[in-house]
Amino acid sequence: MSSLLEKIDHYRRLFADQVARVKEAREVEELRQAFLGRKKGHLTLLFEEFKTLGPEEKKSAGRQLNELKSEIQNRLGELEQKLQAPARVKQLEDLTLPGRQLYWGAPHPITLFQREIERIFISMGFSVEEGPEIETDYYNFEALNFPPHHPARDAWDTLYINDKLLLRTHTSPVQIRVMEKKKPPIRIIIPGKVFRRETPDPTHLPMFYQVEGLVVDRGITFAHLKGTLEYFIKALFGEKIKLRFRPSFFPFTEPSAEVDIECIVCGGQDAACRVCGGSGWKEILGAGMVDPQVFKNVNIDPEVYSGWAFGLGIDRTAMFAFQIPEIRHFYENDLRFLRQFNRR
Amino acid sequence: MKISYAWLKEFVNLNLPPEELAGCLNQIGLMVESVTAAGEDTVFEIETYANRPDTLGHLGVAREIATLLDLSLKTRNWPLKELPQSTSSLVDINILDPQLCPRYCGLVVKGVRVGPSPDWLKKRLEAVGLRPINNVVDVSNYVCFSLGQPIHTFDLAKLKGSKIKIRKARKGETIRTLEGQRVELEPDMLVIADETTPVAIAGVIGGEESGITESTTDVFIESANFNPVSIRLTAKKLGLSTDASYRFERGADPNAAPVAAVMAASLLCEFGGRVSRGLLDVYPAPRKPRSITLRLRRINELLGLEIEPEFVVKTLTGLGLKLKEQGPQVWTAEIPSFRVDLEREADLVEEVARFYGYDRIPSAVTPVKSFELPADRRRDRVWRLKEVLFHHGFDEVINFSFTDPEKEQSWQTGCQPIRLQNPISAKLSALRTSLLPGLVENAVWNFNREAEGVHIFEVGNIYYWEQEETHRENLNLGILTTGLRSGRTWKENEKETDFYVLKGAVEDICYYLGYDQLSFEPVEHPFFEPGQALRIQVKNEPVGLLGLLNSNLARSYDLERPVYCAEIDLNELLRKQPRAFSFQPVPRYPGTSRDLSFLVEDSLNYQQIQQQLQKLNIPYLENFQIYDRFQGKSLPPGMVSFSVRFYFRHSARTLQTEEVDRAMQEITSQLKSTLKIRLR
Ligand SMILES: [Zn+2]
Repeated sequence: MSSLLEKIDHYRRLFADQVARVKEAREVEELRQAFLGRKKGHLTLLFEEFKTLGPEEKKSAGRQLNELKSEIQNRLGELEQKLQAPARVKQLEDLTLPGRQLYWGAPHPITLFQREIERIFISMGFSVEEGPEIETDYYNFEALNFPPHHPARDAWDTLYINDKLLLRTHTSPVQIRVMEKKKPPIRIIIPGKVFRRETPDPTHLPMFYQVEGLVVDRGITFAHLKGTLEYFIKALFGEKIKLRFRPSFFPFTEPSAEVDIECIVCGGQDAACRVCGGSGWKEILGAGMVDPQVFKNVNIDPEVYSGWAFGLGIDRTAMFAFQIPEIRHFYENDLRFLRQFNRR
Repeated sequence: MKISYAWLKEFVNLNLPPEELAGCLNQIGLMVESVTAAGEDTVFEIETYANRPDTLGHLGVAREIATLLDLSLKTRNWPLKELPQSTSSLVDINILDPQLCPRYCGLVVKGVRVGPSPDWLKKRLEAVGLRPINNVVDVSNYVCFSLGQPIHTFDLAKLKGSKIKIRKARKGETIRTLEGQRVELEPDMLVIADETTPVAIAGVIGGEESGITESTTDVFIESANFNPVSIRLTAKKLGLSTDASYRFERGADPNAAPVAAVMAASLLCEFGGRVSRGLLDVYPAPRKPRSITLRLRRINELLGLEIEPEFVVKTLTGLGLKLKEQGPQVWTAEIPSFRVDLEREADLVEEVARFYGYDRIPSAVTPVKSFELPADRRRDRVWRLKEVLFHHGFDEVINFSFTDPEKEQSWQTGCQPIRLQNPISAKLSALRTSLLPGLVENAVWNFNREAEGVHIFEVGNIYYWEQEETHRENLNLGILTTGLRSGRTWKENEKETDFYVLKGAVEDICYYLGYDQLSFEPVEHPFFEPGQALRIQVKNEPVGLLGLLNSNLARSYDLERPVYCAEIDLNELLRKQPRAFSFQPVPRYPGTSRDLSFLVEDSLNYQQIQQQLQKLNIPYLENFQIYDRFQGKSLPPGMVSFSVRFYFRHSARTLQTEEVDRAMQEITSQLKSTLKIRLR
């Protein structure tokens, strides 16, 4: 008969061997019976034997025996939990019920579209500038080379506050304010609210948003204007969009251009197209090389520096891009309209 | 401006299909808005520009097309059947204000049979949308739309005396115009007068009395040049815009005046007219042609291409400029009088570019030589703030900056509104002094359209007079919440919004933007229900208000549900220095928490309690949080119960139970003395 210590060691190995093969909860119980069973469990028998030992032997065997017992109990407990865990979790009855969705507020579509435009230009190293909405005649017109009483002003129908102050009709006064403060190189875009004396109709409102761009440096050419705007429009409308530049007139640029993009609604295929009138083209922005008089007005030498500028109506472009039929939707703030832009 | 293809052909030989011609016009910037077939003719509606009066006649458009297609303009002769009398024996032209009338030409045509125009003339006018009236009036329109030079015809018999005076109107003078309207003239308006009275408002409209009628036989033709600003001011003041004023205010060609007079006279000879000998041409200070130096280098520098000098010469010569070579690839260009827009070298660069074709100019990347750091993070912070609000479920709105001042008055914003001088309507006649009226209107709009809850915000300017003459525009944030909050599921019902939804959003804005020292003070303000509003303070300075919308205001908008709103001065808030971010080590030892429920007098509010709790000087006290407030019959009268959870932690070891017990005793005793708390 081997000593109790040897038996403890034997059953320890036996347990390790058998426990490794357990796959089901039933086997855990069997193992528990085999080792800890009240009458014939291996350990129960060992504890019986233990009682017969002398005090010296009891000292070391007792500790080992107890250790083995708690080892087996813990191991079996763990195993039981692991094997039985699924049975204890509450079962959900219908997993097809909808989940808990969280409502996020919707950004206004103008904000959204303005940010898309800003992102494109910021990626080209532009910074964003802002300026006042209440302006003087000087910044809104004169410095931009609109002579007093010139019919060119008719296209910028103005809301006046008094003889000195008006609501800016475009974001271009910020060009002047920036050039007055800063020497070239200048590379900025200017988003903001502008105002015109327009009676509301489907495509006109007395308030809308514009974004303006300005680059001033040595050696800036019309080719740079074309290249940058082509990239911008493709970034906004997709690689495949066609565009064309044609001559136009703005007092603050010379040469001046207007940029048309291909009508994404009809692709030029619908003679009665509501968006392009059948021409296949949609006017999207005005641009040009900064007029030398504008440079003189801000003490930049047009013989040394040149620059380009563009301006684009955010509302109109967003209307075109999202195919929104009427501009008034932007300022009615109907939640059924606004919330759609959460998904843009 | 309508352009007839057949009419163009009077000036240049063209045989392109109309669509191709439209393409040509687009290329050079005479944007074709529509092409309409009109019998054998085709009519192009083209966009013209304020600086190009020369394109307001068919000749000018023909010149552009001829240049593009390398064709030459036809020369047209205007033969006259002459009277024995000289013009000067019949009329005497006196320019009293040569500043306002630089040139005045006149001819007399006698024996004209006034009647309907021949078909060819009627067709021309109808093509460009003019109504034929009689041959004399039609001839003047034909000349105007051919050359872009307006002329006027008088019934010579109706002019008193032989003197034609071009002078300023006298105070009190009036005239009945060809449109049959009696007009009061003002002393700064230029008129054409006979010996006694004004017979026409110069360059704007003729007088009825001296106008051509069926019985007219002798016609005086006026073909003059007037100061653009003077014409514009007069036309604006009178609220009149005529074909003549439209052209004169853009700057007509002084050299077209004699040509137009002869052309009109020649055409009147077809109707029995005989023309007085010798054109009367008063031109006291003939304008010298402008000259501009043009460098090929400059063209290439601005356009970013290499252009052939031959192309430059050919194009500009075609447009009527006289180029003289000044040096290698440098020219002096003499500008024809009809091109008022060509003043600087850059203007000539545009002409070259237009005819070269914008589409042929290459595209290049704008070079970057330096990058710049943004001047401040203000725009980022505004976006961050919007993100916090989106997260809280608020939708962004944008309202008009305009307001109805009558309606806004009931809000008593305390700001002096800025009114517009020429508003579109009374409802849009001032600028808003608060964002909240707009947000409340949005709530009404949406409640009327099936919405059960409205949770919105706007970031935008308000405007007011800070002092007399000093205006101010200020960036504000308005927030509004009313009705049910979204979030209804099969598991739970949606909840009614409340004051704390709004306050939580405001607190989170400050938290996430790093504005630490946020506090609130009770305030009375006309926007809000008495006792139901707070002033928002950062670093003890006011930055805004929030509260329950005043019930009288709510009722005036027919709003039944409670409306909670806030308005924050973003200029003020964003000016504050946010807390600098610093990383805190992650705790390595477990913390522990204890709850304390206590009674205080109900005159104390939470903020006062919080301030005392913040002042507690207790070791290992990490944080505290209110989790209940209770007031009711089970409590002694005049008392309110608060429950606060305190969090403790030691940074270098696990705390012992006894240490936490001692800390709680210390907290209780400090609060007993500062807040007079009673334990429950
Ligand atoms: Zn289309």
